[in-house]
Amino acid sequence: MVGPQYDLVGNPLGAVRSTFERAAAAAAAESGGRDPVAAFRAKDWGATEVFRSFLFDQGGIDKVPVLDASNLGLIKPNTLVRFRGMVQDMLGSEFYAGAFKDGSTWRTNKFTDFSPFTMPHPCDSHLWERHLLHCVPVPGQNSWTMESSPGPDLRQMSNCSTSEQRDKRKRDGDDDAMDVSENGNGEGSSFSKKPKEDGVQGSSSSPEMPVSEDRVPEMNGDDHHIPGSFFSCLVKVYDMPESQVKLNDVAEFIGVYTFDPELAAPVDNSDDIMFDLLEDVTAQLPPSKVPRLHCLMSRKLSCHDFLSKQPAVEPSPSLLKGIRQSLLSHLTLVLGKDDLAAHCLLLHLLSRLRTKVDLVTVGRLSLNFTGFNRESASIFGNRLNTLVQRLVPYSQAIPLSIDYLNTATLQPRKDNKSGRLVTGVLQLPQGTHLTFDETLLQSGSLASKGVENTVLLKNLMESQMVEYDFEYYKLEMATDVQLLTLSEAKSNILPSDLVVPFRPSSVPAVNASLEELESWRWYLATVRSLPQLSEPETYQAIQDDMVNVMRNDRSLGCSELSRWLTMAQLTASSFGEKSLSMEHWQMVKELERLRKERMQ
Amino acid sequence: MAAGTKTVDYAGERALAKDFLTNFAGPHGEPKYQNMLQDIANRKTRAVQIELDDLFHYKDLDEEFLQRVTENTKRYIGIFAEAVDELMPEPTEAFTVDEDRDILMTQRVDEGADGGSDGTDPLQRMPPEIKRFFEVYIKAFSKATPLTIRQVKASNIGQLVKISGIVTRCSDVKPLMQVAVYTCEECGFEIYQEVTARVFMPLFECPSQRCKLNKAKGNLILQLRASKFLKFQEVKLQELSEHVPKGHIPRSLTAHLRGELTRKVAPGDVVEMSGVFLPMPYFGFRAMRAGLVADTYLEAMSITHFKKKYEEYELKGDEQEQIDRLAEDGDIYSKLSKSLAPEIFGHEDVKKALLLLLVGAPHRKLADGMKIRGDLHICLMGDPGVAKSQLLKHIINVAPRGVYTTGRGSSGVGLTAAVQKDPVTNEFVLEGGALVLADMGICAIDEFDKMEESDRTAIHEVMEQQTVSIAKAGITTSLNARTAVLAAANPAWGRYDMRRTPAENINLPPALLSRFDLLWLILDRADMENDLEMARHVVHVHQNLESPALGFTPLEPSVLRAYISAARRVIPSVPRDLEEYIATAYSSIRQEEAKSNAPHSYTTIRTLLSIVRISIALARLRFSETVAQSDVDEALRLMQMSKYSLYSDDRQRSGLDAISDIYSILRDEAARTSSMDVRYAHALNLISRKGYSEAQLKECLEEYASLNVWQIHQSTFDIHFIDA
Repeated sequence: MVGPQYDLVGNPLGAVRSTFERAAAAAAAESGGRDPVAAFRAKDWGATEVFRSFLFDQGGIDKVPVLDASNLGLIKPNTLVRFRGMVQDMLGSEFYAGAFKDGSTWRTNKFTDFSPFTMPHPCDSHLWERHLLHCVPVPGQNSWTMESSPGPDLRQMSNCSTSEQRDKRKRDGDDDAMDVSENGNGEGSSFSKKPKEDGVQGSSSSPEMPVSEDRVPEMNGDDHHIPGSFFSCLVKVYDMPESQVKLNDVAEFIGVYTFDPELAAPVDNSDDIMFDLLEDVTAQLPPSKVPRLHCLMSRKLSCHDFLSKQPAVEPSPSLLKGIRQSLLSHLTLVLGKDDLAAHCLLLHLLSRLRTKVDLVTVGRLSLNFTGFNRESASIFGNRLNTLVQRLVPYSQAIPLSIDYLNTATLQPRKDNKSGRLVTGVLQLPQGTHLTFDETLLQSGSLASKGVENTVLLKNLMESQMVEYDFEYYKLEMATDVQLLTLSEAKSNILPSDLVVPFRPSSVPAVNASLEELESWRWYLATVRSLPQLSEPETYQAIQDDMVNVMRNDRSLGCSELSRWLTMAQLTASSFGEKSLSMEHWQMVKELERLRKERMQ
Repeated sequence: MAAGTKTVDYAGERALAKDFLTNFAGPHGEPKYQNMLQDIANRKTRAVQIELDDLFHYKDLDEEFLQRVTENTKRYIGIFAEAVDELMPEPTEAFTVDEDRDILMTQRVDEGADGGSDGTDPLQRMPPEIKRFFEVYIKAFSKATPLTIRQVKASNIGQLVKISGIVTRCSDVKPLMQVAVYTCEECGFEIYQEVTARVFMPLFECPSQRCKLNKAKGNLILQLRASKFLKFQEVKLQELSEHVPKGHIPRSLTAHLRGELTRKVAPGDVVEMSGVFLPMPYFGFRAMRAGLVADTYLEAMSITHFKKKYEEYELKGDEQEQIDRLAEDGDIYSKLSKSLAPEIFGHEDVKKALLLLLVGAPHRKLADGMKIRGDLHICLMGDPGVAKSQLLKHIINVAPRGVYTTGRGSSGVGLTAAVQKDPVTNEFVLEGGALVLADMGICAIDEFDKMEESDRTAIHEVMEQQTVSIAKAGITTSLNARTAVLAAANPAWGRYDMRRTPAENINLPPALLSRFDLLWLILDRADMENDLEMARHVVHVHQNLESPALGFTPLEPSVLRAYISAARRVIPSVPRDLEEYIATAYSSIRQEEAKSNAPHSYTTIRTLLSIVRISIALARLRFSETVAQSDVDEALRLMQMSKYSLYSDDRQRSGLDAISDIYSILRDEAARTSSMDVRYAHALNLISRKGYSEAQLKECLEEYASLNVWQIHQSTFDIHFIDA
């Protein structure tokens, strides 16, 4: 298509506008002049294609900086940024003057908050809509995932942005609004492409640098919305089919960044007497505190996207088998040479929710290690936590105590006063790993909140559902969370699928090299996404075997059989096999026999 | 929007509007809008509600005009208002005139007639708004399905839309200035300023010709009494839970209610609202912050509350047709019951009972004031893991009004009602519990056996008298709780203990038990067939990631709901000749119970009422005005079947000999498949599941063959029944 005559990273809006003007001119010629832009409502006129080919086909994505709390004030507004986060809230749609007629030319305001041109008043304009997503860093995201998304060096970026800005300052005085059309094809664009090494020091200490430390505002000072996080981003998506992004999705948004610390809202707004009821949501996320990102492209992130380097090889069973062996021996070491527990943990780590049939969940395997006391929980619990943290992208460890149950906010709740979804601990992205330490629990009384919380946890355990409170009704949101419980005896508050008495024999030292960790991560991500083929004969044989087993053991119920089948399927995939064989079924039965022996 | 580029002749439009208002005839030929205007002239009403339905049915319908009205509604409200101004008849009845407004109006008109003002000054011309005693609303098509809030898009701006949602917040009703009236200190003229937005810039300098000429800069004083205010309320609507796509959160929308529409809704109401979807530009500092963004709101035109009771259920679209088709189908009873919780395997009779609970019988009020309840109460008792709770939850979903609670979980307000102290005002307030909230609906109580004793006693009253009485903290009152109770309980020791008597297993006091019309025992009995079924189900689910096919298509819950609501309108009666039949049946149950040393049930006079109730519910399902004998038989059968799992146990213990048991198994199988033949291999399968040997089967075959009951094939031993 169009060659990148614009610096798409430094001046994305220039490209958006030029494509628009071209498209509008073409449409005007075609339709004979009357209202040529009406057709562009909720439609792309070719702007995203330019970015798509630049980012993905030409590898431009590596030039785009990743937005996070540290570089928030450093990135220049109206440039292209990337942001990885979880969709925490959907704030509905926003209507904006998408296109207006300036004299005889149509101009667009898509992908921006402020028009560089003053809108004549009155003028022909079109109201378009965009959707607002409130995104936060993924709760429980483990540190290793951050390393894998390298953007260009921030200092380089800040250099090029400041130098460009400084250039502009000389031209425009203190007019902060970017005149984008001007530097769109000018020399300004070349700066970001070849950042000058020697210019770095000079410009960053330059007195007239507009982006300096003291300009970085205190982030979301009064918005302790997500516990432990102080950074969020308001993503504005355009023309996206509604089904594409869902609540709690983890996605990467690439778009135009706007952030204006100067435009702070006054504390008390006198207009608000009129608006006491219906304060609009965006006012609580003022542009001075929460950056805006006008999304050009987005893609959902899976576990694989966090792996720093992906082996190009096809996951062959022999390769996977080797990694399985090394991971298993590591797990055994971590678990104090308890082989059975290590096997179960491996299956647990590989489990994922495959589907939900009516009320039955298929594929999940929550695990309960029993036989812990406070001391062993502190030793092995910590080892387990560190292990899990290093293996899965998102994980959280929750100490379950009476106090915690009575005080913690687990349930996400809609605050109808502010119009926002107040998050709870259980608002989690798909694939999160949760570890509950029940050894901290002592007898005591639960307040009503404690009862609600336990019901919530139980529901999560049993049906992988979290109820969100919308005040006048409740909505159940499907989740896919791996749940591990450490307890003294079988946990009744958190009924797990698989209860394994934990019998460590020693506390061997464990360490794993980075390469090993990387291969294990890759293994877990790959195996979890392996497809399952169904072989009718095997299933028929298993079915017959089940009836036999049931005849001998009357205590077996639907849930046990279902769990066995899940474990057999997981065992098969752990070997890299795509289909289940009787051998795996027998392995699971043997595992089950060993477990039963321990239970007695 | 359509009017934006094309110049529309508004005078012509006004003429069309006038024509419609004068000439539209209602369903009985009366001049509907003329009458309405007369009422307004007589100050009886204030609202002129123009229905699009009427516009559509108007004999001289101009389709383009209709289109323009729906797409540029705000403008046409003005046009209709002008038309009404011109058509306003003289009042035909006397009304009190001594209102401030009227006096002011008379004065103003007088002044205008004097020619005191020169009429050329637009600010001095009286805006028509101030003279109006009415408000014009344009109501959307009543038949159209409302949009969800999600579906309201930028393309709907300026149009009349109809949405459904739940009210989450309401502001206070406030006055909104419509016309500001000032008087000038210098020249004494009244100056009018029409206010169209929510804020306005007050005038400070007199703009009248005289003051301008004199350069007097007359000081203007706002006259609050002379200005026109409108009641104004802001409301926030949220999407209904059923409209939210999976993985999304509900959207919300602001609506502005004006004038007569204020105070119509409260938070929690489910409403259907039609209105004009409009953008509202920001102003002041907000505008700076918002940049190019426009806020939007719905200017409400009409509000309808959703009905949640069966009696008020309105059939939509082709539902009536579907019901008729279903009613013609003979097997509606089992078809409907199968569609309840289709994902739960088996339990046909339980589902039938639950269907009857949904249908219920009419309440009776005798001449002496005694009330006989019509609601059926059912208790499901059974071993853990037989899907009791799922059944309960499903029933709640089907019922238009249902509350699900657990015996233990409902603390505080609890099941009945509680008096609570309001933390702010320190007043005592009455809060209804689950049973009161389920008035005219169904209350499902899980874990019934684990309930507090105090709550359980309160339920006695609810189940028979259908009221909740309260005498606490100086409040004595009785609340209605006309609800059908559906309870689920576990047996006394968690599992049903076969070695103990039924009375010991069912650990509920007889006083409570007798109040249930049906007590259903669902036991988890071990047998080969069930095991295989279970294994097959588990494997199928894991293999194909879906449930096994049901073998029939269940009816949609909405169809079910519609059918039940239609059935509930029928009030069947028991014909005289059936009374005797019921009485005999009742006395025979009593006698049987007296004979047995460990009765399975407590048969009391309430049982008799139950039989009648169940029979009536069955008649309702057939849309029949009278109860038939077959209904009574089915009612009795259900009562028997409810304890079937116990009886079948008795049967085995009573010791039918092996040969006759095998015979009955084969006979049942033949009847089930409705064929005369049973293959030998199949027969062997069947009996071995029940624990009989092949030798016993052979013996049975020979014995009954000699009785000429069936023929045995010489070589294959296949069975052929001679007479079914």
